[in-house]
Amino acid sequence: MPLLEARGLVKEFPGVVALSRVDFDLHAGEIHALCGENGAGKSTLIKLLAGIHPRGSYEGELRIDGELAAFRGICDAETAGIAVITQEFALVDELSVAENIFLGREPRRGIRIDWLEMHRRAAMLLEDFGLRISSEARVATLGIGQKQLVEIIRAMDKQSRVLVLDEPTAALTETEVAILLDHLRRLRAQGTACIYISHKLEEVLAIADRITVLRDGASVATLAARDASVPLVIKHMVGRELAELFPRRAAPARDEQPGPAPVLSVRHLTVARARGESAFLRDLSFELRAGEVLGFGGLMGAGRTELVMHLFGAWGDRVSGDIRVKGEPYLRPTPRESIARGLILATEDRRRYGLVLEQTVGFNLSLSSLRNLRTAGGRIDQPAEFVRNQHWFDALRVKAPSQNERVGKLSGGNQQKVVLGKALMTQPAVIILDEPTRGIDVGAKVEIYELINQLAVEGKAVILVSSELPELIGMCDRIIMLASGRIGGEFVRGQFSPERLLAAAMAARREAPRGE
Amino acid sequence: MRLQNLAMPLGLIAVAAFFALRLDRGALFGDEAFVFLGPRNLTQLIVEFSIIGTLALGMFMILLTGQIDLSVGSGVGLIGGVAAVLVFQQDWPAAAAMGAALGVAIMLWTLMGTLIVRQRIPSFIITLGGLLIFKGLFWLVIQNSTVPVSRGDQSNLYSLLTTYYLPTYMGLGLALAVGALLAVIAWHSRAARRRHGLPVRPFGTEFALWIGVSAATLALVIICNHFRGVPLTLIVLSGTAAMVYFLTRHTPFGRYLYAIGGNEEAALLSGVAVNRVLIGAYLLMGVTVALTGFMTTAYSGAATTTVGDLMELDAIAACVIGGTALKGGRGSVGGVIFGALIMTTLLNGMTLLAVAPETKFIARGVVLTLAVWMDVGFGRAKT
Repeated sequence: MPLLEARGLVKEFPGVVALSRVDFDLHAGEIHALCGENGAGKSTLIKLLAGIHPRGSYEGELRIDGELAAFRGICDAETAGIAVITQEFALVDELSVAENIFLGREPRRGIRIDWLEMHRRAAMLLEDFGLRISSEARVATLGIGQKQLVEIIRAMDKQSRVLVLDEPTAALTETEVAILLDHLRRLRAQGTACIYISHKLEEVLAIADRITVLRDGASVATLAARDASVPLVIKHMVGRELAELFPRRAAPARDEQPGPAPVLSVRHLTVARARGESAFLRDLSFELRAGEVLGFGGLMGAGRTELVMHLFGAWGDRVSGDIRVKGEPYLRPTPRESIARGLILATEDRRRYGLVLEQTVGFNLSLSSLRNLRTAGGRIDQPAEFVRNQHWFDALRVKAPSQNERVGKLSGGNQQKVVLGKALMTQPAVIILDEPTRGIDVGAKVEIYELINQLAVEGKAVILVSSELPELIGMCDRIIMLASGRIGGEFVRGQFSPERLLAAAMAARREAPRGE
Repeated sequence: MRLQNLAMPLGLIAVAAFFALRLDRGALFGDEAFVFLGPRNLTQLIVEFSIIGTLALGMFMILLTGQIDLSVGSGVGLIGGVAAVLVFQQDWPAAAAMGAALGVAIMLWTLMGTLIVRQRIPSFIITLGGLLIFKGLFWLVIQNSTVPVSRGDQSNLYSLLTTYYLPTYMGLGLALAVGALLAVIAWHSRAARRRHGLPVRPFGTEFALWIGVSAATLALVIICNHFRGVPLTLIVLSGTAAMVYFLTRHTPFGRYLYAIGGNEEAALLSGVAVNRVLIGAYLLMGVTVALTGFMTTAYSGAATTTVGDLMELDAIAACVIGGTALKGGRGSVGGVIFGALIMTTLLNGMTLLAVAPETKFIARGVVLTLAVWMDVGFGRAKT
């Protein structure tokens, strides 16, 4: 008898059918992956299992141990032993790592919290996951990958019978992913059932026992992982075969002819986190030309996001070095000034830095471009704005009823498209994309890759920051690997190989200077 | 959303109907002093509503960004007091005195805004400090006495603020002008939408809307004309409301207010000059504080130590009742106007009923709490 069984689940929202017919079962000691494009219904299914959509708000049956499960809320689901780790962090920023891990089930001694025991156990768990952070560190100070791991540790430590992981590795480096997968295998051996959602199909095939594919709200296939392959899963997901995942056009031979002057040039850039602190980015030099895609890779904490945020004017205090945009020295960057100079950043953390979630798609699309949409009298030319928004809404194929939809209601991939649309509407010369495909499905990824190609063809200069090596290798003309804030190696197309790139990232890390 | 839109007019009608039934007893549109729906009381209600409404509109822009301003009540007293002292003790012409006081207000609020954004001190703290400091300054300026807004029985621009009523014909002319202006605006916006190939409302709907709004304006003027005419304060409020509506709905500045309240970090990374916009919002708050200060002080005839007391709470309450989110990013000018109307109607009605002051406080508190509770409820229903 399956531990968890769903039969004929149907869930409708006003105007949208989120789940049209889902059948799904999960056995103890099994890792069962859910795959599907954005909006295929994965998140809705999880919310149903987690009790976020209570009984009565959907049709169909949900059984646990053969008993009909009727969750009234999240508490009921937790009592039934279902723990969910979502893409949205449920951590309290102002509390320590240990306090977060044990939130709501703090070890006690009498009526007091047993702090020593709490930190001892937290330290063990962190050690287990190879996280080199203090259990007393405030969560607010952690990076996004570390937060994700803390969240996973918390859920795993609850010893649930069913563990649901929604895109757990989106923010993790390869090492961290390996550690996480090891832990999942151990839990599986102990009989825990796991629902695993990821867009990284290689990873899914490596860890899962079975794979259920959702498409347009319906379960279309359940495959045994050992019989499945990436193309087969993709075929089920999109209902068509994808000829090529990375449709990068052949790199034009531009090594021989230096071409025009670089649109962005960075010389000996050294940046500290804040004034007076020691340097975090050290002695970075590179150039970027029109029509080129330059990739930045590196391990977590290597300084990729910090570098692009500094270029854009949103991070750090410059100690020394020189940035030139279109040949002009750029001394005191601010986001506003960057946009005026034709430099734009599409951020990695779209919910935090990218979007005003409770406003509409249109509001967000035009937010960076209002200065170009003013009439002589200082008004916003609203009809023109609407037309411009609609252009990008259509061009990026944002899946939403209209541009008047609240952006918070969109799926991750479509939110990402809005972030990109907002960036592109500013008519930039240099476009910095920080993890543009994080947490979005294969179909939307390919659309974004095609967009990057098109931008390069149009003569824009693109910086692509990614933690996925295949993405960098597939998309870039040139790749710079960062490590510990330095350049670990620079490669041009033809020299790319995962081993080389990774070696560059690691080598630089070993040479990282101490106490300078 | 639709329910929310209906809730406010219904709430207002319910409150007004309650007082009308208790007070009027069939003497609809009679002329006795204590008739709730009589022109005399309605005119008085409009004056009080204009005063609160103007302040609430300034507060609205502050709340939109997720900030708050607790200092405006004391500020109202202080700015009104400064102008009164300049007129009564320094013999300044009223216009110059009010101009100078307005300058003081703009300076003070720009200073507070600057402290809040540059030093990253929460607005709650800075404006709480402002509340106390302005109160002290106010008492110092008027030396704990009563300073009339004009000498003797003379009237000046200052005292006329709340005692001047537009002549009948001028009120009617104004109503017609408003109707014509609305027609021109509607025609222009339709033309602009067509030029861009966007759909426009059916002509019938547009026409019906225009007729409705114009008729309501005319009715308001006619009611006022039954007493003394359209009060000047209503013109001040209307001007302020039109200005704030224009700013929030039609300019980048207004968009940025919503964006900052919705997600300040995202706004910054979208190229919004967050600091400048916030200081701008406080500057405009200063302007509405000055306008309200002049009107309140003129309404009570003199600057006395209690002028402006608790007005910050009335302004915040009007915004919240009108659907403005305290955490920022949500609200509308129309909502604020309705909120201010509900607050004023409640106060005015209770005064007519000779409700004891202690009960009045409690009733105001209950209404505010209910409004916030509904706000939270609606917020939850939306996510």
